[in-house]
Amino acid sequence: MNSINKNNVCEEEVFSHLFTTNSKTVFNYIYYKFGNQEKAYDAVQEAFVKLWENCEKVTPEKAKSYVYTVANNLYLNVIKAEKVRLKHSKDLNDRSNESPEFLMEEKEYKEKLDRALDSLPENQRVTFLLNRIDGKKYAEIAEMEGVSVKAIEKRMHLALKALRAQIEGI
Amino acid sequence: MEDNYLAKWLNNELSEEELAVFKKTDEYASYVKILKASDNLVAPEYDMEQALEDLRNKRTSKVIKMNPVRRLMQVAAVVALLLTGTYFYINSLGETVATQYAENKEVVLPDASEVILNADSEISYNDKGWDEKRNVSLEGEAFFRVAKGKKFTVTTDLGEIQVLGTQFNVEQRKNYFEVSCFEGLVSVSYKDQEIKLPAGTSFLVINNKIINAESPTTAEPSWMHNESSFKSIPLTYVLDELQRQYNLEVNTKGIDINLLFTGSFSNTDLDVALRSISASSKIKFKLEENKVLFYAENAP
Repeated sequence: MNSINKNNVCEEEVFSHLFTTNSKTVFNYIYYKFGNQEKAYDAVQEAFVKLWENCEKVTPEKAKSYVYTVANNLYLNVIKAEKVRLKHSKDLNDRSNESPEFLMEEKEYKEKLDRALDSLPENQRVTFLLNRIDGKKYAEIAEMEGVSVKAIEKRMHLALKALRAQIEGI
Repeated sequence: MEDNYLAKWLNNELSEEELAVFKKTDEYASYVKILKASDNLVAPEYDMEQALEDLRNKRTSKVIKMNPVRRLMQVAAVVALLLTGTYFYINSLGETVATQYAENKEVVLPDASEVILNADSEISYNDKGWDEKRNVSLEGEAFFRVAKGKKFTVTTDLGEIQVLGTQFNVEQRKNYFEVSCFEGLVSVSYKDQEIKLPAGTSFLVINNKIINAESPTTAEPSWMHNESSFKSIPLTYVLDELQRQYNLEVNTKGIDINLLFTGSFSNTDLDVALRSISASSKIKFKLEENKVLFYAENAP
């Protein structure tokens, strides 16, 4: 009876695995929603503390959506979204052979993209960023948001249209 | 073009013909550019190791199995703790305020949030680090007027309540858990559920069963005006409250204490209170010094 039960969230190993595989995405998910890093961090902690407290009741298969539900509910209607600030990773690439004009133009484009992302409705921004930054499939995002895959496709479609309209000033 | 074709295109789900059509449109280049630029985006820094360690420190409520190395470190930690023990002992205790039977008390927390304790209740909180963590544990009943600020948490044995700044009442007694929100929005964690309570609503659990509770219609709980009021609450809880308000020994004979009681009683005039209870539940009472007996009307 003392052998490790891989099917029990209360097992340290199982729990740590759930944490290391999911907590970063939970963090990003809440961050894309509200643009507040501190709250996103707290949400992750809170959600996993709850998971731990209820580890007898939640199966490993259910753990992921459980954590999203808790993190999501935590700030529901309570906090106002702030500006979502994202970094552009490849700024430091070797660009010695690019013209200053080109670099300038690219910088302006990035700024436009940032502003456009910020002006997206929350659910479209979350879907777009989870897909582009975290590489999440539509089905996974649908699970996090508790909606159908079709609804996520719609959000993605609208997000792209809105980004284009905003960037090109249509 | 089919529905949501942009989403399908991203997922490589467009047919060859559709793709060919899409590539000929003016918009195609724009979308490629957006995707190219968005592929450079990165999320904020997230320190996984630190997060896991923070989490381990938080979930102390359950026993964590340790490997031998960690156990050794734990021994070292205990030794270190013993050395500085006295200092931490005093500091970790925090503040505790309790009321006895027939007593109310008002407590002002470090951030000027107010707590009014009903009879036979206790709160404890930590003065130090209050600004980072507004955490109060409660046994019994209290009304909270929370100053705006960071998350404010009330922990009870039966559930947890979280708010940012608002006014609410929490009553946690034996097998009884009720939260009423008077202003703002509070979040109640009960078992694995999260319930949002907007102003003017209540959440009630009796004997592990969630009851469709009556909503508060007043601006403050009635006990703050020296009256205990009940709406469809089993008589046993009403009698418990009477006991707490007057420091009495309450006994019953031949009456069903699970009958639902609706009404109120005064917290300052025992005679009036006893009449209020007996009249609305059609029972009789006998008061002798510090003991009161409620008995059925037709009993001998």
